[in-house]
Amino acid sequence: MYIDQRIDKILEIFTPAIENGQETIDSIVEKYPQYANVLRPRLEALLWLVSAKKNLEPRTGFTSSSRQYMEQQFKSFQPRNFWQRVFSRYTPQRWVFNFTAPVIVILLLALVINSAILTARLSIPGDPLYSTKLVIEDIQLAFTFNLVDKTDLYLQFSRERTTEFVELVLEGDYELLPPAANRLETEIIASLHSINDIPLQNQTVEQPMIMELKETLTNEIFMLNMLKGTSPTTAYPGIELAIQVAQSGLMALR
Amino acid sequence: MPARLDKDHELIQKAQRGDTHAFGDLYESHAPVIFRYLFAHLDSRMDAEDLTGEVFLKAWQSLPKYTERGVPFLAFLFRIARNVLVDHYRQSNRLESKSPDELDGYKEEGNSEPVELIGNQMEHQKIIRVLTTLRPDYQSVLTLRFISELSPEETAQVMKRSVGAIRVLQHRALTALRQEIEKTG
Repeated sequence: MYIDQRIDKILEIFTPAIENGQETIDSIVEKYPQYANVLRPRLEALLWLVSAKKNLEPRTGFTSSSRQYMEQQFKSFQPRNFWQRVFSRYTPQRWVFNFTAPVIVILLLALVINSAILTARLSIPGDPLYSTKLVIEDIQLAFTFNLVDKTDLYLQFSRERTTEFVELVLEGDYELLPPAANRLETEIIASLHSINDIPLQNQTVEQPMIMELKETLTNEIFMLNMLKGTSPTTAYPGIELAIQVAQSGLMALR
Repeated sequence: MPARLDKDHELIQKAQRGDTHAFGDLYESHAPVIFRYLFAHLDSRMDAEDLTGEVFLKAWQSLPKYTERGVPFLAFLFRIARNVLVDHYRQSNRLESKSPDELDGYKEEGNSEPVELIGNQMEHQKIIRVLTTLRPDYQSVLTLRFISELSPEETAQVMKRSVGAIRVLQHRALTALRQEIEKTG
C-alpha cells in the first residue's frame, strides 16, 4: 500500500511535466531507481493516456461558441420546483381525461354489475344466472346479523321459491320441478327454524311472520292445485311434491 | 483546487437564483473536461458535443436539488454525464465501436484537411479500441483521473468509492492498460 501511495504521488507530480515535455519516462525513473520496475510500466501507460487526451480535446472554440446557444437553452428550460414539474407534465385536457376516464370506467362497471344482479334476481331455475341469484341470497343472509331481519329474509326467499315453482310450471320446464320443490322445502324449513328462534319477548313480531308464511303457503297450494288441472301428467309428480311440501309447512305452523 | 471550488460555489449560488450567465461561466470552465470524458467513450465528436450540452442542460434543471454537501459540482456533473452516456448507449445500441469507414464527423470539422481528419479519427478509434478492452471500472478510473484530470478525491466521489480504493483501482488499471498497449503495439 505504501509503494502504491508513493507511486501515486510521483504520477501526480510528474503528469504535468510529462504533458509539457519537460520530463521523460527515463528521467523520472532515474530519480526513483528503487521503484523502477513498478514505475516504468505505469509511466508508459500514463504517457499513452496523456497523448490520448490530446486527441480527445474539443474543437478549438467549441465551448466559447456553444456557450451562447447553451445560455439560450438554459433560459428556455428554467429549473422548476416539484409542483411546477407535476403540473407542467399534463395539459388541462390531459388532466380532464385523467379525471374523467376512471370515473367513466367506474360508472360503467357499476352499471354492468347492477344489471347482472338485477338479471340474476329475475332468473328462475335453469337460467344461467340462477346460481348467482342463490349466491347473492347467501351473501345477504351472511351479512344479516339481526334475527328478526334474518327471519324476514328467509320468508322472502320462501316466497321467491314458490313464485319460481309456479313460473316453472307455466313455462313447461317440468323436469326442473322436483329439484325446485326440494329447494322450496329447504327454504320453508329454514324459515320455520328461524321463526322458532325468535325469543318470546318478540311475540308481536313473530305472529305477523307466521301469518305471512301461512298465507304464502296457502296461496301456493291453491295455485298449484289450479295448475295441476291444466298441466300434462308428466308434471304431476313435481307439482304433487311441492303441494306436499307446502302442506307440511302449514301443518308445522299450526 | 480550493480557488476553483470557491469560484464554482459563487457561480452555483448565482445560477440557483436563475442567473443563466453564471451557469454559462460554469459551462465554459467545465465543458472541456466533460467533453473529453464523453468523447473517450463515443465514436463521434458530434455526439460528444451534443451530449456535453445535454449534461449541462440536465445539471441546470437539477440545480434546485443540488446541494454542495460533500459533492463538488464537477462530481455532480460527472454523475449526470455517466447517466447520459448510459441513456445514449441504450437509445442508439452503439456499445460496439464502429470501423473508421462508418464514422461521421467529417462535415462538422470543415476547417481540417480531410487527410488530417481521417488521421485523427483513426487515432481516436485506436484509443477507444484499447480503452474498451479494459474492464468498465478501469476505463472509468483512467478517463476520470487522466483524461478528465479529476483528483483522486473527486474520482472517488463520482465512482462512489473510497479514495484508497480509487488508488488501488488506478494502479491496476494502469498495469492493465500497459499490457493492452503492448498487445496492440
